[in-house]
Amino acid sequence: MTPTTTGDVLYDLVGVSRTYKTGGGDVHALVDADMVVEHGEFIAIEGPSGSGKSTLLQLLGALDKPTSGSLMFDSRDVGQFNDKELTGLRSRDIGFIFQAFNLIPTLTAAENVEAVMVPLNKDRDARRKRAAELLEKVGLGNRAEHLPSLLSGGEQQRVAIARAMANAPRVILADEPTGNLDSTTAEEVVNTLRSLSGELGTTVIVVTHAEDVAQHARRRIKLRDGHLLTEPRPERSGRLRGRPASE
Amino acid sequence: MFHLTYIARELRRRLGRTILTSLGLALGVGLVIGIIGVSQGLNEAQANVLAPLKTVGTDILVTRVAGATPASTTGATTTTTATGNNNGAGQRGGGFFIGGAGGGPGGPNAAAVSQADLTALAQENSNVVTDLSKLGKPGEQFTHDFFLSATLISFPQEALDQVAKLPGVSSAVGGLVQLANHQTGTVPEIVANVQTGGETVDISPPTAAEQEQIRQCFESRRGQGGNATGGATAPAPAQGGTGNVQVGPDEGPGGAGGCLPERFQRFRTQQRTIQQAIDPPQTNITSTSYTAAGIDATQPKVGLVTNEQLTSGKWLSSNSANEVLANVAYANSKSLSVGGKIPINGTDYTIVGLVNPTLTGSTADLYFPLPKLQELASKAGRVTQVLVKADNAASVDKVAAAIKKILPDAEVVTTKSLATSVTGSLASAHDLAQNVGFAVAAIVLLAAFAIAALLTLSSISKRVREIGTLRAIGWSKGRVVKQLLGETMGIGVVGGVLGIVFGVALAAVVGITSPSLSATSGGVPGVGSSQLARQFGQTVATATSTHVKLSAPLKPSTLLLGIVFALVGGLLAGLIGSWRAARLAPSVALRDLG
Repeated sequence: MTPTTTGDVLYDLVGVSRTYKTGGGDVHALVDADMVVEHGEFIAIEGPSGSGKSTLLQLLGALDKPTSGSLMFDSRDVGQFNDKELTGLRSRDIGFIFQAFNLIPTLTAAENVEAVMVPLNKDRDARRKRAAELLEKVGLGNRAEHLPSLLSGGEQQRVAIARAMANAPRVILADEPTGNLDSTTAEEVVNTLRSLSGELGTTVIVVTHAEDVAQHARRRIKLRDGHLLTEPRPERSGRLRGRPASE
Repeated sequence: MFHLTYIARELRRRLGRTILTSLGLALGVGLVIGIIGVSQGLNEAQANVLAPLKTVGTDILVTRVAGATPASTTGATTTTTATGNNNGAGQRGGGFFIGGAGGGPGGPNAAAVSQADLTALAQENSNVVTDLSKLGKPGEQFTHDFFLSATLISFPQEALDQVAKLPGVSSAVGGLVQLANHQTGTVPEIVANVQTGGETVDISPPTAAEQEQIRQCFESRRGQGGNATGGATAPAPAQGGTGNVQVGPDEGPGGAGGCLPERFQRFRTQQRTIQQAIDPPQTNITSTSYTAAGIDATQPKVGLVTNEQLTSGKWLSSNSANEVLANVAYANSKSLSVGGKIPINGTDYTIVGLVNPTLTGSTADLYFPLPKLQELASKAGRVTQVLVKADNAASVDKVAAAIKKILPDAEVVTTKSLATSVTGSLASAHDLAQNVGFAVAAIVLLAAFAIAALLTLSSISKRVREIGTLRAIGWSKGRVVKQLLGETMGIGVVGGVLGIVFGVALAAVVGITSPSLSATSGGVPGVGSSQLARQFGQTVATATSTHVKLSAPLKPSTLLLGIVFALVGGLLAGLIGSWRAARLAPSVALRDLG
């Protein structure tokens, strides 16, 4: 595992706001958010549409920068990153899972997993081996050469999980990962996600409004109208989160 | 490596887009290749038309043409300077050489031809003024080839030497071009009866004083005992034509004639010249014409025709051989072939080779060794053409000016001026290809580029989520741009290959249909190239106009250029698409599907 340099804190958000300028005036998507995420946590962010969930996810995923406040990732001020640095951060430390799976339609399942390893300049054989391993892990070993269009929604999302895991990121950010799936498939996907993150000790932050998904989370953060309604820090009951002692 | 896979997948799995975009590029590239091909074909055709001067390394052609300036066509109505009716001699057959010396050319338009030219022409063609009766007795069959310079005035050999000595001249070779008239028919009977004499001369009777004198004279003679015998009172007119006529009694001493006054003793009839108009005899003479050129057999590399233009057979063996080279076109029309014999004025000339000279204006049907033709045409030591090679291209104009100075009457044509004087559909097509063709090509190419760019942009807008996802999972802008550029370049390659196929097909179509273009070179004065030539009743089509089959040769460089164009198109489309993609925020990956 990647050694933690400064304690257990992965994300530290202090007074983070994100304001969008639109024709109709400023939209305060996220207001003065304080939040701490420790390593290995499994967090659900809940809230109705327009509450600022997506904005928060974009900020956590280094896809966007706060308008004000400080967003520290692993003690690094993401707010000061340029595009190249943000890209590097996403590439190495963050895995994404999308509601619509967002697989590259022209690439096979294995190639989709490989694609995420390309920026890290891994050689082809290493990439293929890793992709095959991960697909095996999500139960799609025999679907590796299929195009996304030939896979079911659940299978596609499991490919996406494999892709998100490929570079062993610090955190996996999932945006409504079961939103496009029926409940049975959703259950399978959540279980896959949970077991993998548990096994690898990866932090998982899921944005969802599905109760059953949220129930899997150790901590649930609620959002309404851009405001966090929850305590910014996890309860100090270390046993519930920490990584397995063996790792 | 991954990019290549990705690119290949994109191109293959979005085949419709790939084909559409690459077809757009291919069409543009194909048309450009075709247009370049046709343009090169036209260039080659034009080069071919001008080739002889260029290929033989001739920079300057020196001739002297009478009335080279085209005369107004109304000059066809002519004023005969001789009593013989020479107009349309060629058609009528046989007549034009019968008239008085100097009557050769049947009345050129005086306005178009200077007196100096006329005089020179008269001398030039004087040798063809031949009495047909010399060919045989009236009623006998004859075949004879008459050679005339027509409108080309020959130079003496010294002119050639003079030119060769000019500074900047590398070499000067002479050539003789003659218009030959081959006539067969029956020797006509030419009768001209000239009758003179029989005039009556009126003499006024002697005056009273004269009578007295005569009387005294007779008396005194009688006194001497002489017997006068010639006492005629009026002398009889003498028989005879012209000149002084002696009348009256003998001048013997003691003759009565001595007593007559002076004016009765001798007188002159009025002196006059009898002029008898003789119409050209209408016989069964038929004539055909061809052009003959004399070339230096020892110089196969330079001259009016070169051994490079030999299509079959061999070169003339020597200047003294009874050999000729035949123009392929002429040989075809006359069914002549290598080894065939052409009888000319009692000597058989063997065709040793066929040539394909391409210069308009100076081509001939038969090429003789120069001395042979000089002999046949009675032009010993004379040439009608001087082909000059300059030391270097830069000195051509200077040398041309120098030649003009020493030979003020000469027509001096440089290859450069020749190129600008080519007219006809070839030149039009050439200009068209140069101007319109390239404009069309440029427009088509730009349109193809624009289509490729638009299709790429449309493709990018459909792939917003994909591009956002790539950015979200850690692909840099550069990597995304690299990917998109790779895709459009791939389309460019496909488009280029298809474009080459189109271009080759287009060139093949041009090659198969091979439209015929005519080229007329006004710049090379030759037999039959002026108004005067028409006055001779001769039109030598091959001498002024050439027909070339258009082809569209495709050079490897053209095909390469096509590929380059297609790649540039792909690159442009890719750059425009990438510019759009790079502006996309990675967060679009999280956007809900519409």
